[in-house]
Amino acid sequence: MNPRVLMIAAAVAAPVLVVLAVSLGRNPHEIRTPMVGRSAPAFSLPDVDTGEEVTLASLRGRPVVVNFWATWCFPCLEEHKTLVAGARALGDEVQFVGVVYDDRQRAVRDFLRQRGQAYPSLLDEDGQVAIAYGVYGVPETFFVNPEGVIAAKYTGMLTPERLVDGVRRAIGRNAP
Amino acid sequence: MIPVRFRRAPGVDTRFAMCGAWLTLTALLTVPTTGVDAQVRVARVDVESVVGVPAGARLAGDALSVRTKAVASRLRCPVCQGLSVWDSPAAMAVNMKNEVQALLAEGYLDRQVLEYFEHSYGEFVRLAPRATGIGVLVWSLPMVMLVGGVIIVFRMHVRRPSVIPAGANVAIDPGLEAYLPAVRELAYGKEEPGSSSATSPGGRQR
Repeated sequence: MNPRVLMIAAAVAAPVLVVLAVSLGRNPHEIRTPMVGRSAPAFSLPDVDTGEEVTLASLRGRPVVVNFWATWCFPCLEEHKTLVAGARALGDEVQFVGVVYDDRQRAVRDFLRQRGQAYPSLLDEDGQVAIAYGVYGVPETFFVNPEGVIAAKYTGMLTPERLVDGVRRAIGRNAP
Repeated sequence: MIPVRFRRAPGVDTRFAMCGAWLTLTALLTVPTTGVDAQVRVARVDVESVVGVPAGARLAGDALSVRTKAVASRLRCPVCQGLSVWDSPAAMAVNMKNEVQALLAEGYLDRQVLEYFEHSYGEFVRLAPRATGIGVLVWSLPMVMLVGGVIIVFRMHVRRPSVIPAGANVAIDPGLEAYLPAVRELAYGKEEPGSSSATSPGGRQR
């Protein structure tokens, strides 16, 4: 074959192969976010139970697990057990906060009464905080380090392993 | 069945009640029915820390409605397939549309609103990528490939004549010469008597 034709074919095929190689190496379920490594957006939201405003700034000084969830989200029901158990086990060292997205206060209160509660749940009625965090859907969980920087984010149902991994990242201990 | 009766509240004068009803009706009728108005909302996040203070004028009414549509049409709905925030009925898109409207009402410029969403979601949230950095390739590559293709086709056309000129001396492989009459007969039909086995009159198609 003509060497020039071969060179042109290689020049066209090479970028396509590079893109394919990079894309195939990625986790198809992973939603990339620019928020990891940035300061966690400050927010002020009302507590579902008390109605009192809770700010992220008031929780700084220790790692914070910010979990976006809703009562109508099935994976959220499943991960609730993990989060409650985690909050009870790590309550002194790690602060857990639930941000309820696109939901009604009454439904949230009923849910928490039936399924237990170990940390404050805050109502994000119009999704302002979810947008500030770049949330695609629920459940999504952000792990904020004591300096207020987002150390990790998990999309989808949080398993105990993922929770431990996220907390490790937030406290700066990546090795198991 | 117990009849339902409306009872007048004790101590309330009829004329006073009618006056109140009239004022309420007047107020309802004077509320503009077209356009989008700035809604009173409690700011839950600190937008200024991301894109600075609002650099434009506060918007309301039809101007706000037009600008909301323009900006929301440039944002991608994160949970949809190729739909803009303006076009999508998804709850996330509706929230984003409301956020766009609220920010424009507060005086943020289109650029600031787009940057705010890009800060959270990355450049993915822009339906049309920026023409800077790696995004330049998205805009320039199709044009470069089109121009390159035209040049290649043009050069191939100029270099390769489609017809062998009449009288050209075409060498024939002696080993294949015996098959030439049969091929010619298949291609052009029964060979005419007296035709040469070397070249056909007027040349041949390649």
